[in-house]
Amino acid sequence: MALSLPDTSIRMTALVRHNATLMLREPGPVISRLVQPLVLITLMHPLYAAALAAEGAQAGTVQVVTGMLVMFSLLALSVVGTSIMTERSWRTWDRLRSTRARAAELLGAKAVPAFALLIALQAEVIGFGVAAFGLRVPDPGLLMLAVASWALALLGIGMALGAALRSQSELHVAYDIGGILFSALGGALIPSAELPGWARMIAPASPGYWAMGALRSALRGQATATLRDAAVLAAVAVAACALTAWRMSRSSPRSRLL
Amino acid sequence: MIAFEACGLVKTYGGRRALDGFTLRVAAGEIAGLAGRNGAGKTTFVEVVAGLVRPEAGRVLVGGVDALARPRAARALTGVCPQETALYPAATVAEHLRLFGALAGLRGAALRRAVDDIAERMDLTDIAGKPAGLLSGGQRKRTQAATALIAERPLLLLDEPTVGADPATRAQLLAVVADRAAAGAAIVYTTHYLPELAELGATVAVAQAGRIVARGTQDDLSLEQVNALLVGDGPGQEDHDGAVAA
Repeated sequence: MALSLPDTSIRMTALVRHNATLMLREPGPVISRLVQPLVLITLMHPLYAAALAAEGAQAGTVQVVTGMLVMFSLLALSVVGTSIMTERSWRTWDRLRSTRARAAELLGAKAVPAFALLIALQAEVIGFGVAAFGLRVPDPGLLMLAVASWALALLGIGMALGAALRSQSELHVAYDIGGILFSALGGALIPSAELPGWARMIAPASPGYWAMGALRSALRGQATATLRDAAVLAAVAVAACALTAWRMSRSSPRSRLL
Repeated sequence: MIAFEACGLVKTYGGRRALDGFTLRVAAGEIAGLAGRNGAGKTTFVEVVAGLVRPEAGRVLVGGVDALARPRAARALTGVCPQETALYPAATVAEHLRLFGALAGLRGAALRRAVDDIAERMDLTDIAGKPAGLLSGGQRKRTQAATALIAERPLLLLDEPTVGADPATRAQLLAVVADRAAAGAAIVYTTHYLPELAELGATVAVAQAGRIVARGTQDDLSLEQVNALLVGDGPGQEDHDGAVAA
């Protein structure tokens, strides 16, 4: 049966509203991910500013803002992954799959509120950096590209984890350890150049590395470097979304839940 | 008129055949009571027809639509109430009904009317604003069933919808199911409670080891015979295949 676009948009609207409602009814994780980076940026800014003073007046501010942004947006994967994992543990995913909605609609509708959250988190951190510490944004368009590509990569990784892992505890392990590891390797806590040699070598395996690169380059107005790093993040997003779609469209994932 | 037909379904899990030539036809307006022990293949059959599981062999037609070739088109004709309760703890009863009504293609005034109607029929009106996580077991059962029954469909798959339900919940659900059949829907109703099938005036199908071993009206196949088959001291498969219209 060929369904018209309005049918699709009506289903998507209903699903997006539903997923946004679920997210807002459990606001704790969202609030903590929004507040934590502001606290740490405030407390750690003097340290970073002093440590990187030789590299210019903005260097410390750029490092602490982009670093905390990357670390806490990685930790916000918990919100994205949990939204998929709970659909599986509540058995509601199969319930949705037995309706006329397409798998792409179901996943897309899960992604929209999560993407909005990831964009909001980054906008808040950057806005805070601008307002409180005079962070300069030479090219807002370039920065928006970096933010959007990082949000897409996070969305894909979060959904893939929610689809592939078997329990909330596995999910917690993945985003707690993975979040810290990817942040640290990416240069979110210490600039990449100061990392040990072995860490510098494996750092490109971390999506955080490319996020830090894209954000820093955007804040320096370096278009080519921003585009390159954003392209890597987009590729990560595509691969992760493909994995999620494959996993969630397979039969009865409940049998593989713990 | 046959509204639903499943022929020769085969589904294997880890070397065990959950469905082994499962065949069932249901006419429009018929309630087909599907009985069988745990592991007989009832739920796997429902999952296949609902489009959740793909069989290795067989054919499923819903209102003439090939459900394996065109699963979304077939799902648009099918209402499903799964065996296990599947609700969002933080979403209210009304939000569940609106969501599944919208996914069934209802909109605007028709959606509001359908939500009000099914809420009233299933005695959910007074708890419409209550989150599912705060509902009692019976209220959860009624809410889940209401999400499957909110839109009128040619085929309804109800997988043990009354397990754990109190008598009032069971009576309300059976009344709505009977009404839907009277309106022309084909209904597959799996259950372990054989008296429900008598109450619904259902035809009976008995599943064993992934296939239907006995099929007929309650005149052809008494509930005592069905019960004997289910507890294992009834006539063998060969006897029933010969004696009962399948």
